[in-house]
Amino acid sequence: MLQLKRDYLNQKVLERLSTLQLHARLPMVGSVSGKHRSPIRGSSLEFAEYRKYVPGDDTRRLDWRAYARNDRYYIKEFEADTNLRMCLVVDTSGSMDFTDNGNPTGTDGETGLSKLDYARRVAGTLAYIAALQGDAVGLYCAGEAFHIEIPPKRSATHLSVVLDELGTMEASGETGLADILHETAERIPQRALIVVISDLFIEPETVRNCFEHLRFRKHDVAVFHLMEQNELDFEFDRPMRFVDMEGGEPILADPTVIGAQYRRAMEIYLESMDEVIRDTEVDYHRVQIHENYGDVLARFLLGRTPKKYK
Amino acid sequence: MSFLQPLALIALPLMALPIIIHLINQQRHRTIPWAAMMFLMRAKRMSRGMARLRHLLILLMRVLAIGALIFAISRPLSGGWLGSVGLSKPDATLILLDRSASMEMQDLQAGESKRSTALKRLAQLLEQGDYGTHLLLIDSASGQMQEVDSPKALLNLPMTGASATSANIPSMLETALAYLKANESGRAEIWICSDLNENDWDVHSGRWNAMRQAFAELDGVHHFLLAYTDPPSNNLSVRVENVQRWKRGNDAELILDVMVRTNGNSSGTRRVPIEFEVNNIQSVVEVELDTLGASLQGHRIPIDAKLSSGWGSVSLPGDANPLDNRFFFVFSEPPVRKTVVVSDDKRIGEAFRRALAIPLDPRLQHQADVIPVNRVAEIDWESTGLLIWQGALPSGLVAEQIEHFVNSGRVVMFFPPAQNAGEQLFDAHWSDWQSADGQEVAKVAWWRGDADLLAHVESGDALPLSGLRTYRYRTLESTGTPLARFDDETPLLTRVPTDHGAIYFCSTLPTAQYSSLERDGIVFYIMLQRALTEGCLTLAAAAQRDAGVGVLVDRDQWESVAPAENTASLSQRELHAGVYREGEYWVAVNRSHAEDNAKTSPVETVDALFDGLSYRRIDVDVGDTSALASELWRIFLIAMALALILEAILSLPSRKTEDTPLIDLAVADGSTE
Repeated sequence: MLQLKRDYLNQKVLERLSTLQLHARLPMVGSVSGKHRSPIRGSSLEFAEYRKYVPGDDTRRLDWRAYARNDRYYIKEFEADTNLRMCLVVDTSGSMDFTDNGNPTGTDGETGLSKLDYARRVAGTLAYIAALQGDAVGLYCAGEAFHIEIPPKRSATHLSVVLDELGTMEASGETGLADILHETAERIPQRALIVVISDLFIEPETVRNCFEHLRFRKHDVAVFHLMEQNELDFEFDRPMRFVDMEGGEPILADPTVIGAQYRRAMEIYLESMDEVIRDTEVDYHRVQIHENYGDVLARFLLGRTPKKYK
Repeated sequence: MSFLQPLALIALPLMALPIIIHLINQQRHRTIPWAAMMFLMRAKRMSRGMARLRHLLILLMRVLAIGALIFAISRPLSGGWLGSVGLSKPDATLILLDRSASMEMQDLQAGESKRSTALKRLAQLLEQGDYGTHLLLIDSASGQMQEVDSPKALLNLPMTGASATSANIPSMLETALAYLKANESGRAEIWICSDLNENDWDVHSGRWNAMRQAFAELDGVHHFLLAYTDPPSNNLSVRVENVQRWKRGNDAELILDVMVRTNGNSSGTRRVPIEFEVNNIQSVVEVELDTLGASLQGHRIPIDAKLSSGWGSVSLPGDANPLDNRFFFVFSEPPVRKTVVVSDDKRIGEAFRRALAIPLDPRLQHQADVIPVNRVAEIDWESTGLLIWQGALPSGLVAEQIEHFVNSGRVVMFFPPAQNAGEQLFDAHWSDWQSADGQEVAKVAWWRGDADLLAHVESGDALPLSGLRTYRYRTLESTGTPLARFDDETPLLTRVPTDHGAIYFCSTLPTAQYSSLERDGIVFYIMLQRALTEGCLTLAAAAQRDAGVGVLVDRDQWESVAPAENTASLSQRELHAGVYREGEYWVAVNRSHAEDNAKTSPVETVDALFDGLSYRRIDVDVGDTSALASELWRIFLIAMALALILEAILSLPSRKTEDTPLIDLAVADGSTE
């Protein structure tokens, strides 16, 4: 058990979730034997299938019972288990600093969390769980002013680095999520679990392109789409000056006048996102940041558990 | 529009207050950092049109509400009669009131005449506003200007009461003009109340051009015309055209020519009773009226033979104008129609005497005396109707006597002296004789056939002046009006303008060596008889006169005989219809003939008289005493309330629909197929 010094992590949540396994939905390629399926067939405890004997195969793998039954020679194939590479991609654009009541505190606590704080917790907890089960963890941050690239590795020291970076992340500037995702798709040569934690305030088609790129590279993509209740409901009763948290021009608007149009725009966006999710088959979770992140992660982990273990 | 409190309009810039507050508020809105800007911008784009329009409407309603309140406080008046939207009040307000008989046309339901309606509405308007330092009245009957204490006083002044007179609007305006020039008044308002009677306005008179130019030179004079432009309603008027008293054996009778006229729209025929009253004895005759009226010629009323003079009246049933339903007449024995011919030439004198001694009507008595110039002192001026002066123009006492003779309504005809021309008299002076040794010198090329001594006869035929041969004539230097001219433009007959009576100058003599007047006879006779008739009008003990100032000045002791209810003051009597008597003299005062033939001048013609001047015509209806200018503040208060209500409605937040939850928790599970 690692000594926890990061106050954004919750001991109770970690204890609760550490009993769950982080599984990849897709077979992973790894150099170390681990808990995750590998796409490569090899010796292992798990029987996979029979194939016909060809000269040169290891005769120790001949199945004599099959020969007795069929008078033909068959070789047994077994699943090769390997380790998981998890890359955490955290959006650090200015919009991630949005909190309930729009008051960025940047502090821990059950209330007044910003989306970035929430992302920190989710990413930190996942990193811990992955490290606990011997998987590699990497961190990529997407933001104009804050750019981190920590390739996935397996070691306690590496986890500390990841957790420290998560603790010092700040949200500012415009989003660079699309660029980071495309870069990640290219830079990570082997299959990995790419966990995207963002508010995804970019065009759905851009998101589609990113996910498709990642999926093309055979990566397992999980998305935590963070949203705040006010962003969804847009319930204000007086004209306001809305200041763009990503540095754009402020807008003076009367929510009583444009509220319906705002909610309609949001509805269209979420419908488009649903379509992207369906088409790209990513593991998508739409989360309101007032939800308990422990519950969210529990659902996430349980949802990835293979059926034979349920 | 006019305003009773124009100073309140200074607050009009406050209408910009909502806009200013809006701009200030835009800078003071609560600021909130926002992450989902992309949706906000999309929402703004989607609602740009309607939201902006709604916002503009709200601002507009607020601006209008403030504007309406300011206008309401400024107490606007409809019409704009009280001058322009400015801060200056008039120095003087002049009221020109048409008191002619036609202005007594009434609205039978309201019981108000045109005159009383106009007065009430004008008094009300002036009470509401500010008529300035001086309020002056010029009434049509007297033509005089009088200062009035207050608009209310207008309603009770004798000078604003009904009268049987005609009006002279150009004269009244000239009086107003003279006052404004003399007093160098600054801003002035002239209010004219009239029914646009053609006779009263004389729109074709050349005086209008001069007056218009004179008014144009004055600054700040505004003309307002309260006009009754509606055609007169169905109204009948009665008039006695002629009344004569004749003896018939041992009896006497009156012979009257009565005319009933119809004004306004009437169709078909109907019967109307005419009531005659003579010496308190009434009789009624029914006449059949057509669209123009009816004429009762030679109606005989028997009277006591001993009644040598008296009065009577003719009446119609009451209708829209009570003033023209009764006509007074007086009668007396016809006077001796006396002519005095002053001539030193017996032959010429005799020619005149023969022409004048023969009466047109055998029932009339004529007397023509010929006297030489040196016996002028023997003339009985009082009993003479016509003076023929064939001699040098007199001067001194005789000239004064002749002047007095004319001013008393008589007629004088001057014929040229053979020798000495004499002095200048009535701005006329004889010049040289023109002759051609017995040959025909000049023919008459033109004469006035519509009126006066040489008018066409009753049948419409012209007098045979074209056949007159003139051998000698004396040129006349005069400013008078030619009634006939020779072909060389030299006048044959000239009339000199005079207020009373008539003065004629004839350039030739009737005898053979001068002209064919005596020989041809007809023109000579008719001309002289007409002059005699005109001159003898005032000889009669009974006279018909048109109402007006000065009609009773010839005698001092006129007593009112009729109507019984005549309560007019001495100064006002001559303005009202009635019968007056002084000793053996009678006079009946009635409205003029023009008031019965009242035609309304076209409004466009009247408007054109004020071209280039500050002028406004206000059409009014008889009997309508509603305010000329009503306050409009209520309308503006209602407008303000409506604007505020609309603003409140537009400002209401949109009703929220029951939205379905935006987050589908099933999707949030991350379950994928």
